[in-house]
Amino acid sequence: MAKKKTTQIGRYKVLGELGRGAMGIVYRAKDPALDRVVALKTIILSDDADGREEYQKRFFLEARAAGKLTHPNIVTTYDFGEHDGLAYLAMELLEGTDLRERLQHGAMNPIEALETGQQVAEGLGFAHERGIVHRDIKPGNIMLLDRGQAKIMDFGLARMRAADHKTSTGMVLGTPKYMSPEQVAGQPVDHRSDLFSLGVVLYEMLTGVRLFAGEDTPHIMHNVTYAEHEPPTYLKPELPGMIDFVVARALKKDPAVRYQEAYELASDLGTCLAELRARAGMSESSGSTTRTVKIETSVPTVPDAPAARAIGFDTRLPFSRQFDSSAAVERLAAPSRGDRVRLARAPRPVGWLRRLRHDAATRWFVLTTLAAALAGGYVALA
Amino acid sequence: MSGSLLASVVFLKIQEFARRSVSEQARLRAQLEAVVAVTAAELDPASRIVLEAGDGAAIVVLADPHGALRLAERALSACAAGLPLAAGLNHGAVQIAGRKDGTGLTGDGIAVAAAAAEFAPPARLLASRAFRDALAEAAPGVEAALVKAGTFTDPGLRAHELYRPDGEAARRRAGRYALAGAAAAIVLLAGGVAARIAAEGQQPFIEAVVAKYRSTAQQGEGYWRALVQKVRF
Repeated sequence: MAKKKTTQIGRYKVLGELGRGAMGIVYRAKDPALDRVVALKTIILSDDADGREEYQKRFFLEARAAGKLTHPNIVTTYDFGEHDGLAYLAMELLEGTDLRERLQHGAMNPIEALETGQQVAEGLGFAHERGIVHRDIKPGNIMLLDRGQAKIMDFGLARMRAADHKTSTGMVLGTPKYMSPEQVAGQPVDHRSDLFSLGVVLYEMLTGVRLFAGEDTPHIMHNVTYAEHEPPTYLKPELPGMIDFVVARALKKDPAVRYQEAYELASDLGTCLAELRARAGMSESSGSTTRTVKIETSVPTVPDAPAARAIGFDTRLPFSRQFDSSAAVERLAAPSRGDRVRLARAPRPVGWLRRLRHDAATRWFVLTTLAAALAGGYVALA
Repeated sequence: MSGSLLASVVFLKIQEFARRSVSEQARLRAQLEAVVAVTAAELDPASRIVLEAGDGAAIVVLADPHGALRLAERALSACAAGLPLAAGLNHGAVQIAGRKDGTGLTGDGIAVAAAAAEFAPPARLLASRAFRDALAEAAPGVEAALVKAGTFTDPGLRAHELYRPDGEAARRRAGRYALAGAAAAIVLLAGGVAARIAAEGQQPFIEAVVAKYRSTAQQGEGYWRALVQKVRF
């Protein structure tokens, strides 16, 4: 039997389908009261009465939380309700593409990527100030509008931080590839978790590389928890050096040393943007009559490498890009016969003769004693 | 590719790096690079490898522990210029990691130096026992300047016996050796005298010494007089 086509949800007249997700369908709908076209996100409520009640409660809680957010970088939620076993959320209808689609064509222009990252950080900062954590920041939840405006969508998974609702009642929320280590571990998360996720998205926007890829979910989760990233400037040398520090800080596994505020991240991205724009301006201003020869300035290098505390026996530290160590590396890779002897053995105790030659204090003691012994011998025997 | 070889590792750690703002991190790292450039210039490029760490840098020095110690001390002097550094030194195994040409180094030599740097207070260095032994072999006597700071346990529950530099320690040791030398000299001379007295008896020995003294004094007097006359002429 063919399913009945949905034409009305609550007071909204359904105009068409915009997309389908794991939780429900998103419709294009019209609000006749305000004569406004909206995006209507529906969520199928559970058939089980207990589960349904719990789910409905959670949905309304989230919808209320999202409704508090009015910001240029957050999709506005107008209304929510329930109709015929469906919970729905009426949201601002946006014309544009989502970031996931955009990233399918590879890395973004650095300025565009930084602008998007900055806007998302601004939006998150606004939500975090109101105690709301998104918990599912990923390219699919970031909408890119014309004129480069970015909007965070789907605060449907957000929870009231202050209310401290249970997050893991056996259910894993969020996308593993963009999850924070604490989220993967099932630990309580706060707003800093969103900043980690934004760090992952930022990395992908800048380099086109998906950071924590893996064959399956456990592999991805392992990578999120343990794998260190390669600094973006390793992959894209044209990026400003400071971006390595920004990304490294956003992607700290320990939330205590990560960015503590989204606004701080936004501000640092702004600094990177200014540097990039200044650089772009300089290259544009070099006219045809005067040729400017660009001298490579030292790009600050960076922390893809682990910090002192995190270094273990099997931890690799990369060669510095600022110093040419090739001669010594060559010596280590293919040691000469002498080096093989010298560098392979553990330090030995120093013999008396060597000590006498090199150690002034020992020399003084031995020579004084020797002279006294000779003098004493002479006195005794002469 | 070779297996692991032993080298001295200087781990320079910027204190509280992760908690600083990104712009400060960039500034401090640039400052650290300048410090490493200046200090590493003393070493032969064929005997030093500079590595990047998340919160600092590691310099692997081949076959020159004394050079490694000097490098660490000079780098720490940059603390006066506002670079909050701490240093850890170790002598241990390092190995090229990655592909044939390698992309970095790994090994216990680096891990222990990092642990030592982690324990070091601001503007100070801590060296492992292995480094002290290597230093003793390379430059006997210099290791005396490293005195025991204690045993520290890292988060992996590994205990490290660490040493800190003490400028006075070498001077104190030299004083002790001088004192011991003087004492030994006195004992040996007294032994010689005692042996002679035991063989000849006290009186003949004293008389012989006095006679010797007189003849020496007379000789000295004669020499002195001759010298004065010579000068007069």
